[in-house]
Amino acid sequence: MEMQTKTPVLGNYIYPDLPDASKWADCVHCGMCLETCPTYNVTQQEQNSPRGRVHLMKSIAEGKTTLNEQMAKPIQACIDCRACTTACPADVQVGALIEEVRGQLRQAMPLKGWKKMVNNLILHQLFPHQNRLNRLGGFLKFYQKSGLQTVTRKTGLIKIMPDHLVDLESVMPEIKKPVRKRYKDMKVIPAKGEMKNEVAFMTGCVMDVMFTEANQATINVLTRNGNNVTIPEKQVCCGALHFHTGEREKGKELAKQNIIAFEEAGTIVINSAGCGCMLKEYEEIFHDDPEWADRAKAFSRKVQDISKYLVDTGYVAPKSKVNVKLTYHDACHLAHGQGIRKEPRELIQSIPGVELIEMENSDRCCGSGGVYNVLQPDLAGAVLKQKMEFVPDDVELVVMGNPGCMLQMSMGVKKYGNGQRVIHIMELMDQAYQKEEVE
Amino acid sequence: MNKSVLHTDDPHILCLAKLLNGFQPILFEKEDLIAYDCDGFTLHRHLPKAVVFPETTEEVAAVVKYCHTHQLPFLARGAGTGLSGGAIPLNGEVVISLARMRKLLEVDLENRRAVIQPGYVNLKLTNQIANKGYYYAPDPSSQYCCTIGGNVAENAGGAHCLKYGVTTNHILGLEVVLPNGEIVEFGTNGISDSPGYDLVGLFTGSEGTLGITTKIIVRILKNPEGKKTVLAYFDKVEDGSQAVSDIISAGIVPAALEMMDQTAIEGVENGGYPVGHPRDIEALLLIEVDGIEAGIDEQIEEILTVCRARNVREVKVAQTEAERKRWWDNRKTGFGAMGTISPDYLVQDGVIPRGKLPQVLSRIRKISQKYNLRIANVFHAGDGNLHPLVLFDANVPGESERALKAGSECLLACAELGGTITGEHGVGIEKREEMRYVFNDEEIIAQTNIRAVFNPDNLLNAGKLFPTPGKCIEVKQV
Repeated sequence: MEMQTKTPVLGNYIYPDLPDASKWADCVHCGMCLETCPTYNVTQQEQNSPRGRVHLMKSIAEGKTTLNEQMAKPIQACIDCRACTTACPADVQVGALIEEVRGQLRQAMPLKGWKKMVNNLILHQLFPHQNRLNRLGGFLKFYQKSGLQTVTRKTGLIKIMPDHLVDLESVMPEIKKPVRKRYKDMKVIPAKGEMKNEVAFMTGCVMDVMFTEANQATINVLTRNGNNVTIPEKQVCCGALHFHTGEREKGKELAKQNIIAFEEAGTIVINSAGCGCMLKEYEEIFHDDPEWADRAKAFSRKVQDISKYLVDTGYVAPKSKVNVKLTYHDACHLAHGQGIRKEPRELIQSIPGVELIEMENSDRCCGSGGVYNVLQPDLAGAVLKQKMEFVPDDVELVVMGNPGCMLQMSMGVKKYGNGQRVIHIMELMDQAYQKEEVE
Repeated sequence: MNKSVLHTDDPHILCLAKLLNGFQPILFEKEDLIAYDCDGFTLHRHLPKAVVFPETTEEVAAVVKYCHTHQLPFLARGAGTGLSGGAIPLNGEVVISLARMRKLLEVDLENRRAVIQPGYVNLKLTNQIANKGYYYAPDPSSQYCCTIGGNVAENAGGAHCLKYGVTTNHILGLEVVLPNGEIVEFGTNGISDSPGYDLVGLFTGSEGTLGITTKIIVRILKNPEGKKTVLAYFDKVEDGSQAVSDIISAGIVPAALEMMDQTAIEGVENGGYPVGHPRDIEALLLIEVDGIEAGIDEQIEEILTVCRARNVREVKVAQTEAERKRWWDNRKTGFGAMGTISPDYLVQDGVIPRGKLPQVLSRIRKISQKYNLRIANVFHAGDGNLHPLVLFDANVPGESERALKAGSECLLACAELGGTITGEHGVGIEKREEMRYVFNDEEIIAQTNIRAVFNPDNLLNAGKLFPTPGKCIEVKQV
């Protein structure tokens, strides 16, 4: 008789790539996570809290309910900000669980119609291909420069766009030539002065198109501090957006490409909190994959956020005075995801003349969450509004280390702010160094 | 979300929704209700009929009146962090969530009181008035997220209740919606000791069986001038317990005097807020002294002397506020951290006369061996309020039942040593039967008679606090 191989199941989780039950086993339902959760804070409903979500995900495994549209709502409403992981006495990995269950949901309820089209277009056809992203960047640049933007705004075309897209459109940074194109022909970008270390720079996909200047600043700051910088050519999108939305297979495919692309590298430096967090999680994602576990682990352990890297390896404090009052926003995927809080503050305070005004609840999510602000505009808007109540009125700059936050906070500042400007921490550092060169 | 798109034919749900004005004011789909099928006590789970989110006292009263008229069972819920099951909808209740009634209505420094809505989170009050030099004293470990309304229902305690008293000592007045929907006020304008029966006292700790609190006047205190915290590691648990007695006998009243045993230390050190406690000690004490600056150092010196006389391995005073806070975060997340060493736990809440600490701890050890389940101890040693945490795995057949029996036996030990079955978590569902360890039938009937005055139809939070019908008095009464 032929042996039939059965796909393993876990209660009503019946699709491949099952969630890891040991993760919810750690939750004892104490509720310490409630107040830290941005979606609980705006709805005060427990199905929208970390504890409620874990309970719901567990109840699918217990057979109490199924993967259906009603259960999908609170699971999709999670911003994946990881604040609950910081608050949790038992270190329950809520974020990873949410992504695992979204993977099941995506298989149970494949997207249909226009949502499928948009999803395919963005997650499959766009993000994995840097050249296409660059071309989109080119298009956006064309949109901005050609007068088309003015046309859109004046003709009323903008009136038929949903509110949140209008808001997003209005804060889109000016598109410039990505650093990967700028340094295309250079194998190594040499350190200024004595070379101390070599690093491989992960440019990030959106980061390099939308926030080119932050990437340029990062390279400048790295070389200024004695680092030879390489930009491995085969690197691709980190896959965070794919894992967030349940496209786990595509996410894994991208992860493998990155693991290969950086196999030769010693230290991998990243200036985007969301990507950095994702790259560090390759280890967990492949932990039971015999072929990739070791390579993923080696990769993840080489990844360093730029702020921590600079503080750990030693940096030269800028010498010129920059008289500015600013505040710092802890990106969720830096503070909660990677436990990095003090290093960015140290860098900021190393600049003479800078006055750092601490923001209350600086590590409360702004509602960006990768593409969350596009998928869940109502909740993202409510979360942003709450966040903006904490931004001090009397600062010029709001400093942070994540592109998603930069877009979202720019919208926040525009809507509720006092004329503050959003800036990446590396741009601030770079400007301080440049001032010193001029003087 | 628009109310007009409720996909249900249930007339009660449609009517309840009409009574409320907030955003998405009612949940009734099973997948949403699952989050409300239990609170911090997870051994019983029941789905509610619906969950409603009133934002004003009038909305609460309207919902209650509706339930009363249509004889629907109902109950109130705050943050759902209770540990005895007080907010579990045993009878498919309409759950009235007070989470959206979370305003601080007034701070009256002159009269040292604050007026809050029941969904206001405990720690927020202290955070809000700290810059003015004041705080709210009761500090249950769940204070980061539990609501003061829930604290009133359970008469919650906390680490610092040794010196300052539990919730009931800090409540000056209440606005309550009675089970027929009537709105009443207890306590005259927050003046303590008003004439007539102490109804504020009766309501505080009534576990949501007499009415629903919609406004609370609390006492606030001036921050103590000085504060110092000591951490002491003991190789032998007996030495640690003896040190507790010695400190109190020496005439010191610490603000807090906490103890954790070896298993508990394993949990917190694996958890989110490790301190670096040695794992091979049998007990640690966390002792805090506060009050007038002058004299604190002497008290600390005396505590250090007592600990050394009881063979302490290491004893130290917190050098910075950050260090002190870390020690407390570690202690206060003790229950949740059990998740790192066990899939499930059952926390008990017995009280004993302080002098009996060594005896009760040795009985708990024997109970642990008898049921072959690990029991961790994290507790308020200073006031003899024990928290044995029975560790088990609900997925192993029979373990839940064994855990319940072991927990019950711990309470019996407390009762037999002259103590009682709950210090601060309440009876709820969990300790209904154990009420018999401390009350006889007549005493229980006397109390259900009081309940009947306020809650004659027993629609509000039925099945809590007193032994279940079946074996029971409520049947005999009829």
